[in-house]
Amino acid sequence: MDEPQQPPAPVPLTAEQVFTDYAPRVYNLARRMLGNDADAEDVTQDVLLQVVRKLDTFRGESDIATWLHRVTVNAALTHRNKRARREEHEVHDPLDHLFQDGHHGTPLRPWSVTPDQQVLDQERQQLIEDAIGRLPENYRDVYVLADVEGLSNPDIADLLGLSVSAVKSRLHRGRVLMRHALAPHFEEMPA
Amino acid sequence: MMTCRELAELLIDFVSGELAPEHQERVEQHLGLCPPCVVFVETYKITIRLTRQLPRVPLPPGLERRLREALAEMKRGNPEHER
Repeated sequence: MDEPQQPPAPVPLTAEQVFTDYAPRVYNLARRMLGNDADAEDVTQDVLLQVVRKLDTFRGESDIATWLHRVTVNAALTHRNKRARREEHEVHDPLDHLFQDGHHGTPLRPWSVTPDQQVLDQERQQLIEDAIGRLPENYRDVYVLADVEGLSNPDIADLLGLSVSAVKSRLHRGRVLMRHALAPHFEEMPA
Repeated sequence: MMTCRELAELLIDFVSGELAPEHQERVEQHLGLCPPCVVFVETYKITIRLTRQLPRVPLPPGLERRLREALAEMKRGNPEHER
């Protein structure tokens, strides 16, 4: 009887692979969190060089992906905090503005987006990117990590040092603001 | 019957299928009687779906060049990274 085969040893990543496979991921996450191309470029360079220095310590794709999210989020938050004269905005609960006496304050119209519409045209992509860029930072971080990057709420809580219920609250309010921002562009025209 | 605001507070769990059964029933009851909430829930779901379709943008050419230069510099400083 044949000996059971050992799983193949993971192939070590090369610096070139890191740049090809991971640089766009890092750049996109940083750009959406920071809303600024130049800051995102600085963060991408910082993070990628950190990854290359630690290449020997990774045990495979999932290991590096988790680490990359953590390092990119930390670098983006640090970069944001360093911005000179950063303006603090008080964030109002978007749900307070939507409802009057517990009910919808304004009429709502359905959107002209079919369920099987799979590909976003460039104009719609830009509308969504712009709306993400206008979200308050607290909501934007969670929204990008959840609905763009596809991370779970517990993973986001861990990355941002929040409770899962705080992540859910921010994600929900981010989604409500996004819905509100996109509505004028996607609503069906009245007959 | 719950208010539209109360329904909105439960929406994140409703769309992810994590709502407790007693809340699920109340939400469905409300949706059966409130057309604006039906639109609100549907457009909230579309917002999530559209966002998930966003493609990654490519690296700007200037950044790619900078990264490659930084990598080359690092290799010169530490040949271990040349593998």
